[in-house]
Amino acid sequence: MRGYIVKAMLLKYWYITKNRLDRIFDVFYWPLMSLMIWGFTTYYLRDFTGNFIINILVGGTVLWVFFHRAQQDITSYTLEDFWSRNLYNLFSSPMRWSEFVVSIVIFGLLRAVITFFFLAVLSFILFAFNIFGAGIFAIALFASALMMFGWIIGLFVAALIFRYGMRIQVFAWSFAWLIQPFSAVFYPLASMPIWIQRISIVFPTTHIFEGLRYAFQHNTILWNHVAYAFGINAILIVVACWIFKKSLDTAKKKGLLTRRE
Amino acid sequence: MRYAVEVSNLKKSYGKFQALKGISFKIRKGEIFGLLGPNGAGKSTAINILADLLTKDSGRIRILGKEPRDVKEKMNVATAYSWMNGILKVHENLRIFARLYNIPNAEERIDYLIDLFGLTELRNKKAYTLSSGEATRLNICKGLINKPDVLLLDECTVGLDPEVAAKTRRIIKNLQKKESTTILFTSHIMHEVEQLCNRIAFLSHGKILKIGTTKSIKKLIDRQIVRIEFIPGRKPIEKILKKLDVDILYLKKNKVSIGVRQKKFKLHEMLHPILKAGIRIKDLHVRKPTLDDVFIKIAGEKAE
Repeated sequence: MRGYIVKAMLLKYWYITKNRLDRIFDVFYWPLMSLMIWGFTTYYLRDFTGNFIINILVGGTVLWVFFHRAQQDITSYTLEDFWSRNLYNLFSSPMRWSEFVVSIVIFGLLRAVITFFFLAVLSFILFAFNIFGAGIFAIALFASALMMFGWIIGLFVAALIFRYGMRIQVFAWSFAWLIQPFSAVFYPLASMPIWIQRISIVFPTTHIFEGLRYAFQHNTILWNHVAYAFGINAILIVVACWIFKKSLDTAKKKGLLTRRE
Repeated sequence: MRYAVEVSNLKKSYGKFQALKGISFKIRKGEIFGLLGPNGAGKSTAINILADLLTKDSGRIRILGKEPRDVKEKMNVATAYSWMNGILKVHENLRIFARLYNIPNAEERIDYLIDLFGLTELRNKKAYTLSSGEATRLNICKGLINKPDVLLLDECTVGLDPEVAAKTRRIIKNLQKKESTTILFTSHIMHEVEQLCNRIAFLSHGKILKIGTTKSIKKLIDRQIVRIEFIPGRKPIEKILKKLDVDILYLKKNKVSIGVRQKKFKLHEMLHPILKAGIRIKDLHVRKPTLDDVFIKIAGEKAE
């Protein structure tokens, strides 16, 4: 791993971000819209359910957006190189695949952290919701596990893009939403039908959001949820890196990196 | 180490299509070597494998004595068919690659190349706003950013206007002279290859048909090419030409290209029977054979 290559790639992602309004909107505009919709919904619902609904919906939104950002940045910045037909120059340079992954993950992390604090401050101002009410350590743990899963999904979708090209770019934006209904983001696992629970229990996101709700209610961390989330993430991140490398090898074998369209 | 690039029995297929059928060549240090051939001959496939962008099926490649992936810092590639990142400005694109290649005095190098290729006024423009010729120049700048020991140039002058293309060729030639850069140059523009390359390989349908210096290859045709345009009439031009000891290379309506053995060549003897038959000549050119003629000849022989 060579620091100067990672730095060069980070500089590239910074240039893309500052030159492209969409990439700035990703960090501020869309997260703000999500927060406003769910935040205002809590205004209505708390008359029936009490203040705890704020913790569930706004807390869920802040952390879900954080996860979504971590996932989407890997795929959208990968797509930037496809759109600009720049893969030829990039992969003929001394950059290794691992340096590509590490730099995109670091940049995604920075953006996700900015989004997280932006929403944390706004949710406090607009809805008097303190995300750290569950405990700073607990939030740091849940956020780290979510971020890891975001990288896993991001790498998996990026692998698909390298393997099948831009025709499947829609997954860059949609894949996280495929997982959301099963992740118990805004409702407890127990409220779902049994057959969905059996699927949901597999996802680390389910354990994180279950743990988050419990932490808000009892100010205690359920370590079994945390252990499962980190354990499965540790396995999946190795698998995601392996799939990404294999996809890149296939792309090199089939000549996809040199395509002119 | 005498050779900067060694390629031995290189093969590559895409499904059932064999793009390279076992090509071999060696490029000496400081040499400009041309891979010449029509579209689809396998030139870009060869370059892409050398640039480590495409996996070979079999064969052996050594660049500066190593596998291509282990020597990327010392080589570079420029092609007219790839783009730099369009959303980035000209100088931003070059800065990224300067850092990827970890070159010292990056800004100085960027300024030098931007100036050399006449991009000074465009340095703050986003790359997507460049014309195709300007984008090609930017690609060549990127190819030279790390002062490569081995430079792969794939049809890099496509889209350049004649003046800039000529300047680019001069720069390439200077690189060879001043920095002893080894250059693999692919093109289907024969005169460009003839002007630049020390040695060339003719590639057709994934096979190398001939390798040699431009002089030695041109000697494969010991003919002068005579191109005649007649004033249209009813005289049987083809019949008369066939009686002469010449190769008819091209004949259509009132235009003909003839290959004549150089030693025997006497223009007046050739023209005499034509004029005697009352055929009137509108225009006449005599020229030496070009690489195009050689390529057509070699490709034709191999096809037979």
